[in-house]
Amino acid sequence: MNAIIFSVIGGVVMMFTGIITQQKKAIRNVAIIALIILLLANIFDTYGILSIHIGTHGMLNFQKFGLYFNTLAYAATLLFILISGADVTQIGEGKHAAEFFALIFFSLSGIAIITSYNSLLLLFLGIEIMSIPLYILTGGDKRNLKSNEASLKYFLMGSFSTGILLMGIALMYGAHGGFEISAMKPSAVSNEYGILDPLGLVLVFIAIAFKVSAAPFHFWTPDVYDGSPSVFTSFMATIIKAAGFIAFIRLFDNKYVELGLSWRIILPLVIIATLLVGNITAIFQQSVKRMMAYSSIAQAGFMLFAVFAENDMAKEGILIYTVAYSVATIGIFAVLEKMEDISLAGYNGLAKKHPLLAATNTIFLLSLTGIPLTAGFFAKYYMLLSVIKYGGSTVTWLVIVAVIFAAISAYYYFRVIQAMYFKTGNPEVRSYNKGFCFMLVILAAITILIGIFPTIILNWFYF
Amino acid sequence: MTGLYTLLQINQLNNTAENYFPIGVQIIFAIGFVATMIGLSALVGPKRKTSDKLENFSSGIASHGNARQPMAVKYFLIAILFVLFDVEVIFFYPYAVNFKFLGWAGFWEIVLFVVLFLIGFIYIIKKGALQWED
Repeated sequence: MNAIIFSVIGGVVMMFTGIITQQKKAIRNVAIIALIILLLANIFDTYGILSIHIGTHGMLNFQKFGLYFNTLAYAATLLFILISGADVTQIGEGKHAAEFFALIFFSLSGIAIITSYNSLLLLFLGIEIMSIPLYILTGGDKRNLKSNEASLKYFLMGSFSTGILLMGIALMYGAHGGFEISAMKPSAVSNEYGILDPLGLVLVFIAIAFKVSAAPFHFWTPDVYDGSPSVFTSFMATIIKAAGFIAFIRLFDNKYVELGLSWRIILPLVIIATLLVGNITAIFQQSVKRMMAYSSIAQAGFMLFAVFAENDMAKEGILIYTVAYSVATIGIFAVLEKMEDISLAGYNGLAKKHPLLAATNTIFLLSLTGIPLTAGFFAKYYMLLSVIKYGGSTVTWLVIVAVIFAAISAYYYFRVIQAMYFKTGNPEVRSYNKGFCFMLVILAAITILIGIFPTIILNWFYF
Repeated sequence: MTGLYTLLQINQLNNTAENYFPIGVQIIFAIGFVATMIGLSALVGPKRKTSDKLENFSSGIASHGNARQPMAVKYFLIAILFVLFDVEVIFFYPYAVNFKFLGWAGFWEIVLFVVLFLIGFIYIIKKGALQWED
């Protein structure tokens, strides 16, 4: 409960900060302080100290997994604001800096709800609270046509998928006579309405798959990620996307049984389609930003393995994946934000002029590819291991397919490294200060640290 | 497939196609009646086409200009803010009905709700969203 309350209060505080002052530095500092308070409040809540209890009539069910994910998501947001906060204040002629932070806080409160929901109504509310601020953030650069287009597209498609979600929830309500997922047992379903439940579940699956941009529902992703301001793409592609997977895991943890064998056919198809579309299309991109959009689709394919495996290993895996993927992507977007030309050719010869940017960017790209000694390796390792633990030799083919696609992904990630180190060019880079360099090094250090000791994340989970 | 079949059967228990027959007849009659009357008046009635008659009706005042011209965004802003605070009232009705049952706990919750709205209202005023002149 702490996370929900404090994130909303943080949002309101940011709104009024915007009225009191227009100083960008002050606004950014208030946001950082509010975020640290939110992070601490959530950590206290996780271990049962100073936690606020409000009767929710069983609509929310706080478990350590969800609360711990909140901590990771808020920590990633803190890193995001520390490294890109100054860029956030510059967007849209710099007039609405405080409002952008307020919207980020409201989005975080949506995350706190979908990591702890027990009632399907709150799943709906959480997804909406998380998405609506994003529609605005996407259109944050309001004089830019591309940003406007992305915002409108995202809003229309997003509200359509929300409609599908509601339809699914209505059917599941019809089958069970209630919204609580903990009360939904397959045996409680009478035969007469037997079809309503799987049908509703598939519709909810479609809606959440849209939010995490899994393959047949990914069409909004490239345009929206490309059009919106880079800093917000970074926020959307990392923290928000990972939260979508928690919603997935919480719902299907005790529900997938009802779909029976068909669930074991649908999900691998979606996973393979996601990996295929994401990886193959990313190869042909010339713009690094658009490539990262497709890469985020491909990474979503890997994260879907956690939904497929549904065991403790998968839960641990999604936590590591969240950190590994978020840190690396935030870093890449932070560098991208400093580039004048975001096409692949714009990175030519970056290593000569800005060796630190190139070196840290290389570490992030290696992490996304899944090279050992970076966090991305253990993220992928945990995902595939959880699948093997679930199905043994019956799912080996799926793991082989995943590894092949991971190998394909090396091609487009390494192309950026190649451009930075082995091509000559004159990259134009916006000015950046020492603090930015320091944060880049911190992010790279986290990536390597988790790559060597992946258990440091999980130790805190079981602490 | 069997599930779908049972679903259809459930429908058949309560609603057969026959039950809808009177409604169908009424719809056909309504459409037919309106079409006939409009057609008759067009065929039989006298036709006097003058320029005054073909003009858009605007309460007897001569219309001028085109309807499709850009409007100040302030109208939309005020309209949307009005809707927001108007909808708020809807949430008071269930509370008013259950006023005694909910007691003090309900009262504090509605106070929280109103305070949140007030915060939004103060924010709007401070931001100058309700200022008409620039």
